[in-house]
Amino acid sequence: MTAVVESVDTAAFAADLDACHDKAAPGAVVVSARGWVIASASRVDGAPAPGGWAELSFARRENPSPAAVRLAFATELVLLQRRTLAELLELAVTRLEQRTSEGANLLNRQLVRGSVADVALRLSEADDLRRLDPRARRAWLIHRDLVACGRTMVKLFGASGFVDDRPGRLVHLMELVGNTYLHPGEADA
Amino acid sequence: MPEQDSPRLAALRAYVREAAVGLRAVGMELDRDPSAMRRWLHLPAVRIMCGCSIPPEYLAEPLRVDGFTYDMSSCLEHTVTIEELSYGDASVMLACPGPIMSGVAVAALGDDKQRDAYYRRVAGPRPVWTFFALTEPGKGSAATELETRLEPDGDGFRLTGAKRYVGNAALAEFGVVFCRRAPGPLGIEAVLVDASARGFHAEFLPTIGMRGLRISAITLDNVRVERSQVLGFDTLKPSRRGLVGAIQTLQRFRPVLTGTAVGLCRALLDHVQTRRPGLSGVDARRLAEAADRLEAVRQNNYAVARAVDAGKIRTDRIAGAKTRAAELAEHCTLLAAELLGPASLLEDPLLDKLYRDARAFEFMEGTGHIQRLAVFQGVLKGTFLEPVA
Repeated sequence: MTAVVESVDTAAFAADLDACHDKAAPGAVVVSARGWVIASASRVDGAPAPGGWAELSFARRENPSPAAVRLAFATELVLLQRRTLAELLELAVTRLEQRTSEGANLLNRQLVRGSVADVALRLSEADDLRRLDPRARRAWLIHRDLVACGRTMVKLFGASGFVDDRPGRLVHLMELVGNTYLHPGEADA
Repeated sequence: MPEQDSPRLAALRAYVREAAVGLRAVGMELDRDPSAMRRWLHLPAVRIMCGCSIPPEYLAEPLRVDGFTYDMSSCLEHTVTIEELSYGDASVMLACPGPIMSGVAVAALGDDKQRDAYYRRVAGPRPVWTFFALTEPGKGSAATELETRLEPDGDGFRLTGAKRYVGNAALAEFGVVFCRRAPGPLGIEAVLVDASARGFHAEFLPTIGMRGLRISAITLDNVRVERSQVLGFDTLKPSRRGLVGAIQTLQRFRPVLTGTAVGLCRALLDHVQTRRPGLSGVDARRLAEAADRLEAVRQNNYAVARAVDAGKIRTDRIAGAKTRAAELAEHCTLLAAELLGPASLLEDPLLDKLYRDARAFEFMEGTGHIQRLAVFQGVLKGTFLEPVA
């Protein structure tokens, strides 16, 4: 049986994040309402993401991007978050199929199956919410749902989910990006 | 009404709280460079951790406060100590040298000679890190399923296998390894292993947070083990040895770990209060509700620790307390990041660190899934929920 490769490619995630910037603001980077940018280190000359992840870089900019650009970016971000979590769920299921406890496949445990289903239900709900008219507060709602979904999913990886180059890192980076770009601020918080 | 601290416990709490002041700056440094702990070994908090669970007669300076002497043999006193240190910084507390979990295993299983040798070694003036190696790559922390082998070799044994997610193992001098000498639950042993032994290799696993703990992976390749290294080999029946020791250690230590999560949550909510003193409306209510939940988890954990001290090991309630604390830590970090506003994870380094550190509790000392199984057993037996009059 082939061992599951659990390590994640943060550089690929950074490239996907850059693609979100390109779709919302071709050739530029989107600046958050509070004046922050986060993108790949090759795109933004700034400090490494908190936690020391050098593939992502953040910096201050003087002026936030226009609201319409930020909304377009928010739409792309939740799509990226949704897609990434679905890929991690596949990885989790493959991993659980290969692990056994007391002679039984872990994926056959009801508790585990329930958690897998919970993640899938959240992803499905996020899809339905994404089909509604794009709104900033709606993107924040979807993001928060997907944060909860990511937290449930990373537990399917056991302690491995806390190791730095594993799925937990991607889950954290998506939370960091969402906190920076999607949080609506005091008016709507 | 919550039970008030006794004068003895109040004196300990006040002393440790004072010792925890200033740990957050150290914690920030450890987050960037986990090896930095060696620069902070002079701190009072480190002295407390070094002496934790060592009998006073082995220590040049046992912990004495207001006429009371403490050796952390009380689960409640140990829990309060760890909670207060974790209010300062949980990662620093876990980075400290000393017995931590291995000491609890040696106390539970070791014979007089083994305990004496262990305490002499960890109680000296030199900082000594130790480890407690139970979890395995394929089996997690399921003690009954572990596969690391202890095989006869002349008048001793050879140890072969792998361990994962072991705190401080890659810098430790020695520690306890759980292994299998024979099939079945009675075939499990706990052995003391030197990190300098031929065939022992440990390396750090980089983690998302709680980096002071220096989680490590261990490879054991035909490591020679003398009979004298097998805990309780000459004094305990197999039915009272390895597995019992693993379970006793985990049960005794889980309220302490829960205290770590409680300390971190207290630090986090206080930080939000300090940064946003003017919170009002829904936000203020959400913060107040989190504080209520925290106090409930904290008092429950004290009750669990008191029960352990009274010899009432309630596996289901210990598991419930740990699970609730881990969930609360997750809830508090998400709430704090929300209440502190957009880009708070970029702009607030302490929040960023606590946010990442709190993720550790789900995985330490048994995942939430494993703890839920214990709660489930308690529901079946009718022991988990208290009867309501």
